[in-house]
Amino acid sequence: MVWIALKMLTGDRTKYMGIVFGVAFASMLISHQVSIFLSIMARCTSLIRNVQEGEIFVMDPTVRQADEVIGLSDDDLHRVRGVDGVAWAVKFYRGTVRARLPEGGPKGHGDFRSVVLLGLDDASLVGAPRKMLMGSVEDLRKPDAVIIDEAGYFYLFPGQPHQIGQTIEMTDRRAEIVGICEVGQPFQSMPIFYTKYSRAMQFSPPERRLLSYIIVEPESGVPAPVVAQRIMNDTGLQALTKETFRWNTIQFYVQNTGIPFNFGITVVLGFVVGIAIAGQTFYLFTIENLKQFGALKAMGTSNLRIVGMILVQALVVGLIGYGLGVGGTALFFTLTQGAIPLKGFHMLWQVMAGTAAAVSIIVVLASLLSIRKVLVLEPAVVFR
Amino acid sequence: MLFRYGLPLLAFASMMFALRHVVIADQEPPKQPPPVEPSRTPFKSALAGGGVIEPKSENIAIGSHLPGVVAEVFANVNDEVEAGQKLFRLDNRQLLAELEVRQAMLESSRSSLEKLRSQPRPEEIPITEATVQEARVMVEDTKAQFARAERGHSSGAVSEEEYVRQKYAVATANAKLTKAEAELRLLRSGAWKSDLSVAEAQVKQAQAQVLQTETELKRLEVTAPVKGRVLQKNVRPGEYVGIPPGQALMVIGDVSTLHVRMDVDENDISRFKKDLVGKAITRGANKREVSLKFVRVEPYVVAKKSLTGSGTERVDTRVLNVIYAIETKDPNLYVGQQVDVYLDAAK
Repeated sequence: MVWIALKMLTGDRTKYMGIVFGVAFASMLISHQVSIFLSIMARCTSLIRNVQEGEIFVMDPTVRQADEVIGLSDDDLHRVRGVDGVAWAVKFYRGTVRARLPEGGPKGHGDFRSVVLLGLDDASLVGAPRKMLMGSVEDLRKPDAVIIDEAGYFYLFPGQPHQIGQTIEMTDRRAEIVGICEVGQPFQSMPIFYTKYSRAMQFSPPERRLLSYIIVEPESGVPAPVVAQRIMNDTGLQALTKETFRWNTIQFYVQNTGIPFNFGITVVLGFVVGIAIAGQTFYLFTIENLKQFGALKAMGTSNLRIVGMILVQALVVGLIGYGLGVGGTALFFTLTQGAIPLKGFHMLWQVMAGTAAAVSIIVVLASLLSIRKVLVLEPAVVFR
Repeated sequence: MLFRYGLPLLAFASMMFALRHVVIADQEPPKQPPPVEPSRTPFKSALAGGGVIEPKSENIAIGSHLPGVVAEVFANVNDEVEAGQKLFRLDNRQLLAELEVRQAMLESSRSSLEKLRSQPRPEEIPITEATVQEARVMVEDTKAQFARAERGHSSGAVSEEEYVRQKYAVATANAKLTKAEAELRLLRSGAWKSDLSVAEAQVKQAQAQVLQTETELKRLEVTAPVKGRVLQKNVRPGEYVGIPPGQALMVIGDVSTLHVRMDVDENDISRFKKDLVGKAITRGANKREVSLKFVRVEPYVVAKKSLTGSGTERVDTRVLNVIYAIETKDPNLYVGQQVDVYLDAAK
C-alpha cells in the first residue's frame, strides 16, 4: 500500500515537485529568518559572551542592557570583593569613543569611526580576546597598546591586509594597534578596541565615574545565582549571572526595537506561504487522485488504510521539503561566513527543530484537508 | 529512477549538511581561566579595600624655606640620612655678600663704642690743665693790679675809671678760671653715659643683623627633619625652586617598617573593627601575600580620588583610612605600590 501511495505521489512530477518545493521554501524561509533574528539578538549580547572568564556581571542598579552602562565608583570593586562567596572580582570598562585615523587616509584626511572601547583589568586582563589573528594579549602591556577586532580592522582599514603597528588617535591620545583578534561582534557594527583599564581611563571622555562592570567569579561550589543575590543584598548594586544578563539584554531589544516584530512577520509569512503552497497543492493532488482512492475503496480498502496512505505521502514530501529547506539555510550561512557583516551568523539546533515542528504542522494541516474529502468519498464515484 | 531516488537522497544529504552546520557553528565560547589569576579573597567573609604602601613615618615631602636656584645636592636617592643632615643647598652668593656688609657694620659700631669708652684722651688733659693754670695766673695778676689801683684811688692817683676797670678785670679772670676748671672736669669725666648706651645699642643691632643673615644663609640649606631614607629626588643643581614648590623636592621616609594605608569605603565602615586580621596581596602575576598588623585608624574620613592619571583627579567617594603594618620584610615591596587589602570580617 505504501508503495502504491508513493507511486501515486511521484506519478505527476510537476505536482510532486510543486509540493516539495512549497514545503522546502517554507522551511527555508522560517529557519533562515529565525536564524538571522537570533544571530542579531546574539550580537546584542556579544559583550557578555566575549568575556570568557567569571560568571557574574556587577553593574549599576539602573543598567538595562549590556551596551548602555553608567559608571560605578572605583571603591565598589572592593565592596564586591568583600562579599561572601566571591573568589575574585575585577574591573571591566565599556565605553564608546571616537577613533581617528592618521592623516592621509582613504578620504585624504584623518577618517574617524565610533568604536567600542573595552578596558581590561591591568593585572589580570580578564575579558581579553582569546582568538588572536596577530599579536598577543600580553602585548597590551606595551605603552599605548590597543587590540582591534578583525571586523573593526575591516571597517577602519578597508581592503588593507592585516598588519599591526598602525597608530590612531583616541580622545587626543595616541594609540598603537598591537594585535588583531577575532571576537563576537556588537549589534551596531562598530570596531572593538581592547586596552588596559588604566589606559581606557585616558582614552575615555572625562566623566566622574567610569567603572562600567565588575566581573566576578564565585568560589567553587557556590552557585553563581546565590553569589549574585548576596552581592545585591550586601552592596545594593545589580549583580546578574551572564545568562540572566544576556536574557535581560535580549528582552530589552525585543521590547524596545522593531526587530523581533519584523522578523516575526516574516516567519508568519513563511508559515502561511508554506501552508498555502504545500497545502493547496497537496489538496488539489488528493482531489485529482480521488478516482484512484475511490477505486481502492471499492476494492475494499479500509478508510484507515487510505488515511495511512495520505499520511505517508505527506510525511515523504514533508521530509524531503524540510531537508532541502534547512540544507539551503545551512548553505547560505556557510557561504556567507567570509563576509564581515554576516560573520558569526548561524542556525541553532533549536531553530532546526522548530522548523521541523512548523513543517509537520503544515503537512498535517494540508493532509487533514484532503483526508476529509477522501473519508466522505463514495466508492461509486469511480463508476461515474 | 534518478528522479525517484535522487530527490530523497538530495534531501537527505541536504539535511545532514544542515545538521553538520548546526553542530559546528553553534558552539558557545567555553569558559576560560583568566590570563593572569586575579587576587583571590583569602578569607571567607572579607572586608576589602585598595591600599598603598607607605613608610612608617609616612611620606615626608621635603620643601624649601626660600625660593631660589639649587646650587648643590648632597643626598641621593636611597641614601640613609640622619636628622639634620644636609640634603641640598640653594645659591647663597647674595647673602654671603650681605653678611660681609653687616659684619663690617658691626665692626664699625664696636669701634665707635670703644672710642667713647676710652675717653678722655690723656693727651688732652695737660692742655686743659695748662689753661686752668693760665686762668689762675690771670686771676693773681688782675688781683695784684686791682690792689694797686685801690691804693692809688684812695690817694687820688688813680682815676675812678681805671679803678672800676681793674675791679671788673678781677671778676672776668675769676670767671675764666671757673670755666677752665669746669672744662677740665668735663674732660676728666670721659664720655657721657647716655652716649655710651646709644653706642652699645648700635653694636647689639649690628650683631643681630649679622645673626639674621647667618640664619638666612642656614635657611638656604635644606636638612633632613628625621632619620630615614631618601625615596625620591626631584631636585638637581641649577633648577629653580619656587614657593610653594611645584612638587616634593625630595621624599624621605622611615622604611624600617612599611605601612599599608587601606581605604575602607564609607559604606563598609560599619563592618570595620580594629582587631580584624588583615592580608595584603600585590597585583599582577607572581602575587605576594603579606600579613598585616593593625596600627591605627585615621579619625578623619577623606574623599577618595579615583586614580585615573588625568590632570584633574576626580573625587569619587569618601573612605576611612586605616593603617596597617607589614609584618614581614620583603625586598619586593616598594613604597607607593598599590595592593589589594583583605580583612577577615568573619569574626
